[in-house]
Amino acid sequence: MSDPQAPVKLRQRILNWFHHHPQAKAWSLVLPGGLWLLVFFLAPVLVMFSYSLKERGIYGGVEDGFTVEHYLRFMDRLYLKILWRTVVDATVCTAICLLLGYPTAYVITRGGRLKGLLLFLVILPFWTSFLVRTFAMIFLMRDTGFINTLLLKLGLVTEPIVMLYTPFAVMTGLVYGFLPFMVLPIYSSLEKLDHSLLEAAEVLGARSTRRFLRVTLPLSMPGVVAGCLLVFIPALGSFLTSDLLGGAKEILVGNVVQAQFTSARNWPFGSAASFVLMALVLGAVMIYLRVRDGAEQPAER
Amino acid sequence: MSNEKQLRNAFLDYATGRMGRRDFIRGALAMGASVTAVATMLQACGDSAPPPAAETPPPPPGPMPATAPAAPPEPELGEKEGELHIYNWSDYIAEDTVANFEKESGIKVVYDTYESNEEMVAKLQVGAGGYDIVVPTGYIVTVLAAMDLLQPLSKGRYIPNWGNVAGLFKDPVFDKGNLFGVPWQWGTTGIAWRKDKVPTPPDSWGVFLDPALKNKMTMMDDMRDVIGAWLRYRGKSLNSTVDAELQAAKADAIAAKGNLKAFISAPVKGQLVSGDVWIAQLWNGDTMQAKAEQAEIEYLVPKEGSTIWTDSLVIPKSAPHKRAAHEFMNYILRPEVAASISNFTGYGTPVEPAMAMLAQPVPYPSGEELSRLEYQGDLARATELWDQIWTEIKAS
Amino acid sequence: MNHLKLPYWIMALVTGVYLFLHLPIIALIAFSFNDSKFSTEWTGFTLHWYERLLERQDILDGLKSSIIVGLSATVISTVLGTLMALALARHVFRGRRLVEAFLYVPIVTPEIVVGISLLILFVAMGVPLGLHSVVIAHVAFNVSFVVVVVLARLQGMDRNLEEAAMILGADELTTFWRITVPQLWPGIISGAMLAFTMSFDDYVITSFVTGTGSSTLPVVVYTMVRKNIEPSINAISTVVLVATTVLVIVAERLGRDKPLVADKD
Repeated sequence: MSDPQAPVKLRQRILNWFHHHPQAKAWSLVLPGGLWLLVFFLAPVLVMFSYSLKERGIYGGVEDGFTVEHYLRFMDRLYLKILWRTVVDATVCTAICLLLGYPTAYVITRGGRLKGLLLFLVILPFWTSFLVRTFAMIFLMRDTGFINTLLLKLGLVTEPIVMLYTPFAVMTGLVYGFLPFMVLPIYSSLEKLDHSLLEAAEVLGARSTRRFLRVTLPLSMPGVVAGCLLVFIPALGSFLTSDLLGGAKEILVGNVVQAQFTSARNWPFGSAASFVLMALVLGAVMIYLRVRDGAEQPAER
Repeated sequence: MSNEKQLRNAFLDYATGRMGRRDFIRGALAMGASVTAVATMLQACGDSAPPPAAETPPPPPGPMPATAPAAPPEPELGEKEGELHIYNWSDYIAEDTVANFEKESGIKVVYDTYESNEEMVAKLQVGAGGYDIVVPTGYIVTVLAAMDLLQPLSKGRYIPNWGNVAGLFKDPVFDKGNLFGVPWQWGTTGIAWRKDKVPTPPDSWGVFLDPALKNKMTMMDDMRDVIGAWLRYRGKSLNSTVDAELQAAKADAIAAKGNLKAFISAPVKGQLVSGDVWIAQLWNGDTMQAKAEQAEIEYLVPKEGSTIWTDSLVIPKSAPHKRAAHEFMNYILRPEVAASISNFTGYGTPVEPAMAMLAQPVPYPSGEELSRLEYQGDLARATELWDQIWTEIKAS
Repeated sequence: MNHLKLPYWIMALVTGVYLFLHLPIIALIAFSFNDSKFSTEWTGFTLHWYERLLERQDILDGLKSSIIVGLSATVISTVLGTLMALALARHVFRGRRLVEAFLYVPIVTPEIVVGISLLILFVAMGVPLGLHSVVIAHVAFNVSFVVVVVLARLQGMDRNLEEAAMILGADELTTFWRITVPQLWPGIISGAMLAFTMSFDDYVITSFVTGTGSSTLPVVVYTMVRKNIEPSINAISTVVLVATTVLVIVAERLGRDKPLVADKD
């Protein structure tokens, strides 16, 4: 207590200990978040997994018993068709988000004093309510809505263009909702770019396209991959956008799952459908990580 | 434990018409169920009886033959508590009802809202407590009762205003003998239409098959309402569990889907007002709200018939303030209170003396209308078949 | 640093993106001043919906809950997520790949599954439902997003500065605070912004784990769907938009030397 050096020594000793025990250091970083996920995510999800193997309770919930019938039911053509449609939609959505999101992130990093504001403006729309935002989009896209009225007044069209309740509207809504998930990771990886590298390339006479392809793009790849994952994966589970903007005329896996826990009262089948989706994603991510770790050496040591 | 499950299965078989009433009673008693429990179960599933034969029209709602046995003795609940937690649909009560009740009774009310029956059922089912009053729609009362989640009411003891309830809403099929629920609001599902755009009243569900109105029509985004409408179109009960009838309804629904702008429920109101939609399957109360903004909107119940529904106030078994909940139920059955609530929601009031006080009375259906209206019953095991068909309609 | 000119078509495309993102918001704001219950046609200017806000205690309470939940969940998930990202990027340890792969599971799990399973867990553990249960749930689905975003910045981040600091005698903790965190800042800010956004706008999960009297704003809004979403919701959204914009601009002004987003090039 009386020794003013004590805290410093203690701190030094702790740091030294961690320095010599890298495994312990790694786990102490992982554990707080890991435990949280273990208790409040993995444990309940495992309970749901056990539900997917039980009998359906007639009023919701489950009954005792063991069965794989819910997984077999999902293997029906009807549901595989829905799954395929979902994967296609999510892929298209990811591609569009990338095409729009990359240039946006790029411009933000070059925004100088406006950088903070530009970044903020990407996320600001999402601090309103999803439903009100979606209703505003419905107003814009309706037959008698803003866009059609404008086009008619300008004489660009003679008949209103049917946009609302079409696959176009669903895709617009999905892209709108997921765009920040693409912009933010790309921004954060572009932001670290060493601009002296680009300047060097320029001084050496590299043309801008080449400069971009050879220097910028490869350096921002981690952000691109992260962005694609953050768009593609949640897009697989989306359901509200297709209901509200697609007029519920199209059905995605997310809608099937949602219905099982609500109107259909079939929790085991809903769980089974979710776990098929989760297994697909987990498998794909494992393959991706294996390829990535094989291509580049693990970051350090 | 296994006895309980056996009992439940027997109950389900009975509810879905796979087991006779006598067999069920005998079996249930043998499995150790008390007489009152069996009586409760029998009443709870009143509505899940097998669908009527194709030719006979579905039974009208309202007073049923006295099949309900004598009600079990009403529980006594002790002193009135100082708090009350109400869990209701949003905007489904007059703005001053709660405040007035608090002032008069001295009970502090915590008021919360939910979006769907299922969300509320799931919460009660896994045992999340804390709610004193919830407001399930029609057959959801049957579901909650079958799961033994509801407190039987002590109407005689604590709800002297019970006599104000109109005969039509006493003893409903989904809650025989009103063991669990006090009727809150009622309404019908029908067709809302723009009389300036559609000259002839669309008095049949068949209007949705008319390609001339393509892209100007919507049906609700709910499997019970859509498949139910197409069952009625072919003269069948909207609670049918017969595969052939459901397949026919599916074919009609898929044919109609090509003409539909969307499956959309309450939010269609805005597009009826703006004129994007001319014909929409909708509830009567919502139509009235839209009509307030656009006078050209009209409402009718199709000639093939449709749904009548009642939302009820019920008390979960886990409710911490049961006595206060009864106090509230009694309060809202006062004519002037009931009238102010219905004036706000635009739906009908089940409190008969309140009718005269309504700004825009929603008259009780006449005998002829009543014969075309049917309550939705719980589909029990057939829910899976319905869901499969609904998915096929959506994926088509 | 800005002498590398951007082609005009990129500027046009990005302007289009900003227009796309903000057009619905402009419509939303416009309808908060519209004298009609349904957001369909312009029927006249009114401040009625803003006055209504003062009567709608449920909306104001919802906003308060949303802010409390959003901020708490963001802080917790950003700290936990950043630490995990550091471990994954900087250390090779047994089970690393499994941990990383597992992080993507919360992103794909349908919200309703998360909601119901957490509800079952809370009830089984005897945790009363309220704001704290909502925060716990939000952190559980936010952490993964933070990790993925922060990780993207960490991967391949220049470590020369850190090593230089260490050689100059700074210990690991000092190096971490003085070098690593500032370098990582854009990633942390991006992750936190995503976390706050998801938390502020989540309905499905929240609706299952919220208890009496702790509804967040999205829950209040969704429950209105069956009847009608009153333009008061547009009004409160507008208030939130204006307030945060002012807040951010003021913060930018005050912190010119230390901008919101680290600017180190």
